[in-house]
Amino acid sequence: MKKLSLEIVSRALKLPVCEGDSLAEKIEEAGIPLSTYCRKRGVCGKCFVEIVRGDIPPPTEKESLLMRQKKMPARSRLSCLYKIRGSLAVKIPRGSLFRETNILTTGLRMSVVVNPPVKKYLLKVLSPRILNPASALELVEEGLKRKGLRVPLPLLRKLPALLQDTQGRLTAVIFDEEEILALEAGDTTGKNYGIAIDLGTTTVVVELVDLQTGATVDLATALNSQSRFGSDVVSRISHAFLSDQNLEDLRLSIVRQLNSLIHEMGERNHIPKSSLYEVVVAGNTTMNHLLLGLPVKTLAVAPFNAVFSSLDEFPAIELGLELNEQAKAFIVPNIKSFVGGDISAGILASDLARRPGNFVFIDLGTNGEIVLKKGKSLWATSTAAGPAFEGMNISSGMLALPGAIYKAELGKKLDVFTIGDRAPIGICGTGLIDLLALFKKKGDITPQGKIVPASRILPVTEGITITQKDVREVQLAIAAVKTGVRMMLEKGGLDPEDLDGILIAGAFGNYLNVRNSQAIGLLPAIARKKIVFIGNASLSGAKELLLSSPSRKFLKKMIKSVTHVSLAADPEFQKKFIESLEFPEVDP
Amino acid sequence: MIKLLQDIASAVENGDSAAVKELVRRALVSSVPPDRVLNSGLVLGMNIIGQKFKKNEVFIPEVLIATRAMNAGLEILRPALTQTGFRFKGKVVLATVKGDLHDIGKKIVGMMLEGAGYEVLDIGVDISKDRLLSSAKKEHPHILGLSALLTTTMTYMREVIEALEAARLRKKVKVIIGGAPVTKSYAEEIKADGYAPDAASAVSLVGSLLR
Repeated sequence: MKKLSLEIVSRALKLPVCEGDSLAEKIEEAGIPLSTYCRKRGVCGKCFVEIVRGDIPPPTEKESLLMRQKKMPARSRLSCLYKIRGSLAVKIPRGSLFRETNILTTGLRMSVVVNPPVKKYLLKVLSPRILNPASALELVEEGLKRKGLRVPLPLLRKLPALLQDTQGRLTAVIFDEEEILALEAGDTTGKNYGIAIDLGTTTVVVELVDLQTGATVDLATALNSQSRFGSDVVSRISHAFLSDQNLEDLRLSIVRQLNSLIHEMGERNHIPKSSLYEVVVAGNTTMNHLLLGLPVKTLAVAPFNAVFSSLDEFPAIELGLELNEQAKAFIVPNIKSFVGGDISAGILASDLARRPGNFVFIDLGTNGEIVLKKGKSLWATSTAAGPAFEGMNISSGMLALPGAIYKAELGKKLDVFTIGDRAPIGICGTGLIDLLALFKKKGDITPQGKIVPASRILPVTEGITITQKDVREVQLAIAAVKTGVRMMLEKGGLDPEDLDGILIAGAFGNYLNVRNSQAIGLLPAIARKKIVFIGNASLSGAKELLLSSPSRKFLKKMIKSVTHVSLAADPEFQKKFIESLEFPEVDP
Repeated sequence: MIKLLQDIASAVENGDSAAVKELVRRALVSSVPPDRVLNSGLVLGMNIIGQKFKKNEVFIPEVLIATRAMNAGLEILRPALTQTGFRFKGKVVLATVKGDLHDIGKKIVGMMLEGAGYEVLDIGVDISKDRLLSSAKKEHPHILGLSALLTTTMTYMREVIEALEAARLRKKVKVIIGGAPVTKSYAEEIKADGYAPDAASAVSLVGSLLR
């Protein structure tokens, strides 16, 4: 076969090619993120390249139309339709590359190629002719260059009128290249949106995402409305299992809240709910069960089995969520019964599975979830830290809301800093950690956790104190995390020094002081630069799943390879837990 | 003699096993009656720890260490106690109910009771009615202590009491219950014999039930 060459002028690359090769495939093989949005079917018109030198076949009807629309140079051709016949040189415009968007914005910088499961294609459906009396659906399929797509019946009923009204110019919304979600009049390709949700026990975060660009359009945060039925997972489960009505109340409560948050964001940004085609929800096992209205009793009783761990996408309308009528919902899969989709999403967003080296991923919440990555293996566990880090069961404790002391420093005197710079009204998790470390350093608290002054009360600032019982609550919470990390490291045969990093997810974010956390034993005493805060990795993971079809396929597979470790069932746990209750003797 | 007993008590309180052993030996050599070494030395030390634990002044590790020290003393004391016809104050079987794996609170109760001179048999966590029934039949405890840390599992306590009644064992054993979600009114509702909010109170509760 004749040796031919392909020169990519815009990248100063030259590679060998053969006659008959697909230009798009060769460009992809060179590692260039060419936007092959429609999987090289010549439908989306996103992979245009300019032929600087070489054979230029006459444009197809579709190419001519798209070139006019996009105002491309006349020497442009769709690279997926181009078969190489001779040596050539091409220029790839920026617009023909997949967009990338940031997934994690703190700690690690992670980005993802925008290649969502929900895609939009502009079609010009030909009118049927007497000689070739194709059905309306066949004509649509021809436009999409794809046969056997699933079509919801309500859509099919509207199809003839739609074709007539639009003279065949319409936009098809396709899910995973398998199913038509909607057929819309005219060109709506610029309006493709989805919703990513971090469904936390305490806090709910909803993100409106542009599925074309990957941009975050808007973000809304609220206290989980189920909180009125109980602040933690167990009290919600207890409420749910008293009656079916209670379970339904919990379900409706969160569904209504999500609908209202989504509705408000839509209004604010002039995006109708009919332009929302998918929702991805990352939450712990209890939260996703309650959202689905599934019985939760078994989640709080040994052997703690869930109703599901992984589900395929299903119609969002079945959840009661008000998006486009045909929109999909994807619940980020749980790891076995115990570790929730929020953690799966976090593993994905931080690319833990593919990160070279040994890592511990910790999500500090009411349940401290811990994932160990060693070599190619992943182990996950959860340990009941209790709600102390969220300010519960602490005399002056509160959530991280305005007025909460989130940080403390010890100079000549004790300085406290509050969220929003308001007058202090309480202490949140990070503030509590700082204060205990500082009081311990001052000698007001012994390594055993005893408050030295006879009053057994430590004044923080006017009206705010730390009591002996508060210290004990924090000791219990720390011991749970500490024991969990210790046992996971033992499982992997690792010492803390063998770790290449500890990734910390959760609302604590950058407010958590590493030195102070190490002083009270919450974090192992390893080099400070190895400890990285990655923020709300659950939400980041949900966004990535919304934007990347390959990421979603990767996650579904990756989740199955995670080994679940049950600490509660390990007889060593109790012993190690008790050993972990004391603070480290020396400060780092 | 009183000084020696006080030293034993504070050595237990400080969790100093070596000192406890040495002091108990010295007391026996000085012909201090073994039951006084137990009650005014070892048990007194555990009582002090129990009170301090109740006030949060000491924590689980200190209780554990004190218990170890007390047991070290008891080892030395036991032959002498048996000779003088010593008997435990009573027998207690402890269990965390089915579906619940929490252990630590119950363990502390056990340690405190042992420290107070009771024979304690901890049969574990996630314990079914059937196992509790057979324990009650086989071990003949005076007290059955049930623990649960979850609102979802504490309902099992009622089932245990009903099962004891059905098996006609209810009159032979007193049932006491505890754990974070458990309350006095819940104990009354399910017809338990007693409820204690913490380990030190559990010791007084057992004492008053066996009086």
